[in-house]
Amino acid sequence: MNWLRLISVASVLLLLVPILVLLYYGLGPFRDPVGYSAEVFDSIGLTLFASALAVIVDLVLFTPLAYYLARGKDRVTESLVDIPVSVPHPIIGVALLILDSPVTPTGKFLLSLDINFYNTILGLVTALVIMSAPIYVKSMEPYFESKDSSPEEFAMGMGASKLRTLYSVVLPNSRDGLTSASLISMSRALSEFGSISIIAFYVLQYPFYGVSPASVTIYEFFSGNMAGGLNAAVTASAAMILVAIPITLAGHLVRRKARK
Amino acid sequence: MIEAMISARIGEFHLKAEIKGEGVTCLAGKNGAGKTTLIRAIAGLLPIDEGFVRVGGTDITDRSVEDRGVILVTPSTCFPHLRVDPHIVWGARLKGFKPPREYVLKVKSDLGIGYDGTVGNLSRGMRQRVALATALVSSPRAILVDEAFLGLDDREAFISVYGKLAKEAGIDVVFSSQDEADGNLADHLYLMTSGVAAQRR
Repeated sequence: MNWLRLISVASVLLLLVPILVLLYYGLGPFRDPVGYSAEVFDSIGLTLFASALAVIVDLVLFTPLAYYLARGKDRVTESLVDIPVSVPHPIIGVALLILDSPVTPTGKFLLSLDINFYNTILGLVTALVIMSAPIYVKSMEPYFESKDSSPEEFAMGMGASKLRTLYSVVLPNSRDGLTSASLISMSRALSEFGSISIIAFYVLQYPFYGVSPASVTIYEFFSGNMAGGLNAAVTASAAMILVAIPITLAGHLVRRKARK
Repeated sequence: MIEAMISARIGEFHLKAEIKGEGVTCLAGKNGAGKTTLIRAIAGLLPIDEGFVRVGGTDITDRSVEDRGVILVTPSTCFPHLRVDPHIVWGARLKGFKPPREYVLKVKSDLGIGYDGTVGNLSRGMRQRVALATALVSSPRAILVDEAFLGLDDREAFISVYGKLAKEAGIDVVFSSQDEADGNLADHLYLMTSGVAAQRR
């Protein structure tokens, strides 16, 4: 008897039981058409769209940071990266609200440039970037660390800067790592609720005018603010899980392939 | 002319080596003798406690890796995503010059590179040849070859040809080997033991 395997499988099941139960009831006894109405699919669409945009921003802005941390010894910066995910998530929503408030100097400045976070796609994506970027960086950093640095040293010996080395040598050979980290951070963005329920409870912009992110819609069903109640919340949750799980699993499968 | 006097302590290991050579220099020694440590220190990839590195009379001790004009080639050095020809001219293009086509063809021919596929699809030995050709064509001050000559089927002939091409281009070459006899292929031979380099020739 492999006890370690048995304990490991049992502990994973412990994590998955609530989700499995939810899927059972959401797709079975509690299934409510309101939970898979056009409104719900619009909110899932908004969440997918905003999460995908957030991941693109993560890729462009935070890949250099992950590489810098992997190849350097900047432990201070490394610990700073964790801060957004280590505070209660609504704090990030409140922080963005204050940052862009008409009563603060930063808000006055941003609003003078027409940069508005409140109930906009920009605000939603910004919050998702802040919440998913640390996951992205923490996923890319060990990937870069595991790569042989000889080609990079070779490129730098020929005069390439560290940034040039990253873009010309490292990234073209890191497609599996980038794909995996993107999918993992996208699944993190899809699951966000705390910050976006404050900064972008719903979006007032085309093509998602009046649409809330999926997690907010589920909460609205649950709290009774939207018609449907618990049954609709459970059904919409099951629908969201069916969308999110393949993305999470794909991220980890690509990561496993990358490690081989 | 490459001159290095280096003292560096890495954990329990103390490197205390002095080498001086023009043309091709062989660093021979057993595993753990300090060959790679010395080569990496010359390349600027290891901090040194005391000493200097000069190439062609220019002191490069405090210069960054990208500003030293010294290229390190190891057995796993290559850019797998590039095709052979763009790979070979990569360093030259980076510096803003286009090496003459005839010269690139001569280097390829002399070093036995007869393919033009994607480098990642080539055999290990062919990848090493491409990397060594790339270093040569990018015209650095010096090329440091850390065991990248190992595993080549025509190793001795290859080292002779490579040394000749490097001398023609005015590039100093330092290579490591576990076989002291490889010193016969070089202008200078240093035998390394426990982090100390002793000149044999």
